[in-house]
Amino acid sequence: MTITEKMLCTKSHEYLSENADGTYTVGLTDYAVEQLGDIVYLELPETNQEFTKGETFATVESVKAASEIYLPVSGKIVEVNEDVVNAPEKLNEDCYENGWLVKIVPTGDASEQDDLMTYTDYKEELD
Amino acid sequence: MTKQTYLHDKHVNLGAKMVDFAGWHMPVQYTSIIDEHKTVRENAGLFDVSHMGELFVTGKDSTEFLNGLVPQNIKKLDYEKAVYCQLTNKNGGLTDDLIIYKIGINNYLIICNASRVDEDLNWLENNTRGFDVNIDNVSHKYSLLAVQGPKACLILQKMGLDINQSSFTIKPAAIAGIKVLVSRTGYTGEDGFEILTENEHAEYLWDKILDDGKEFGIKPIGLGARDTLRLEAALHLYGNDLDKNTTPIEAGLSWSIPKDKTDDYVGKDVILNQIQNGTEKKLIGLKMADKSVARHEYEVYYNGEKVGVITSGAPSPMLNANIALAYVKNIKEICTGATVQVMIREKFHDALVVKRPFIEKRNSVKF
Repeated sequence: MTITEKMLCTKSHEYLSENADGTYTVGLTDYAVEQLGDIVYLELPETNQEFTKGETFATVESVKAASEIYLPVSGKIVEVNEDVVNAPEKLNEDCYENGWLVKIVPTGDASEQDDLMTYTDYKEELD
Repeated sequence: MTKQTYLHDKHVNLGAKMVDFAGWHMPVQYTSIIDEHKTVRENAGLFDVSHMGELFVTGKDSTEFLNGLVPQNIKKLDYEKAVYCQLTNKNGGLTDDLIIYKIGINNYLIICNASRVDEDLNWLENNTRGFDVNIDNVSHKYSLLAVQGPKACLILQKMGLDINQSSFTIKPAAIAGIKVLVSRTGYTGEDGFEILTENEHAEYLWDKILDDGKEFGIKPIGLGARDTLRLEAALHLYGNDLDKNTTPIEAGLSWSIPKDKTDDYVGKDVILNQIQNGTEKKLIGLKMADKSVARHEYEVYYNGEKVGVITSGAPSPMLNANIALAYVKNIKEICTGATVQVMIREKFHDALVVKRPFIEKRNSVKF
């Protein structure tokens, strides 16, 4: 299964994807990255920081503006993608395989995922 | 209702990302802002800047009239010459910054910011008392194309333009057989031309310039790169770096103000006083020490004290660093080489005070 087949998306263009070890990967959708244009800076949280669903956990800067990134479900940060912090422009090429942002362990109820959309539904919503 | 230029469909067909800017639906980028920016610095770019305002000022008192509204000396402006001006208010603040072109004996063209056309018109019309002068807003009749970059002159030469034209001059000319007004001005820090054409020829000229310029690497450039280009050149943007409460002296525009103008103009007393006694705030250039980006309205600190605010900030594609313009308290410690802090999302980030413009003045291709 490819990542876009199994991931869930938010209206604010983040994705959430479950990993085999029970953690979840969070990143920005290809649509978000395309809309942002050239990405020049990423501010990611530190591991062990906790955020609630919908809370700003990171900031992305394109040439034009800074945008906040919201956590799709409540969770604790367990891993931060330092490669993409060091080379934020890589996000424009690949926001899934190598361009993910953080890995989290959910701290909220499973029902927090209820309002998230499949990639197919998300794409439809955009049209 | 958002307005569209006569080139709107061209932008959409080129796949541009469109945004609303000053009431206009304009291309912000076609491919990538960084790529477009470098294209202008290295080769040439074509901009649709038809959203900008064009005003004709005519009548036997037009020289006298304009001379009383700007710090610059319009009486000394020769035929076919252009001058960068500010429309000042009684406090020395700015209604707009613009370029005045002398296109006839009592005949001037003003090109002003799209966002300020209505205010400028109001201001001009409210000051016509006693003058034999006509102000005609012709913005809707003309399209404005800018060809900018070191190869701009080669492209337009190929299209029949006599490029033996000095900087800050304007001339009637023919490009690809179309009668236009051509000025050697721009907003990128590069050599280049701005071409005023009747709307009906805009599409033809747009396509023709892209076609004829292909061998020189020309590309269409959106407003995103226009902003980063002007910022690298430390050219002000009204609404960000200039406003009704900021004087040209505070804005670092003293170079544009003749000290020997004897005629009165609006705000002269304030401006002369500031030239003599200094200002409370001043404009500085900043280069971020890390990868963070200082943006409009972020606060600036020096030694723990809030001393000012960022007015424009963006990545500089040529310097590979993030740059900004800021207004700070006019103290001598905040000078080139000093370090200040910018508050970004509740954290301090160091920024170095650097000289403006951020990049060297660039020249056209020599031949």
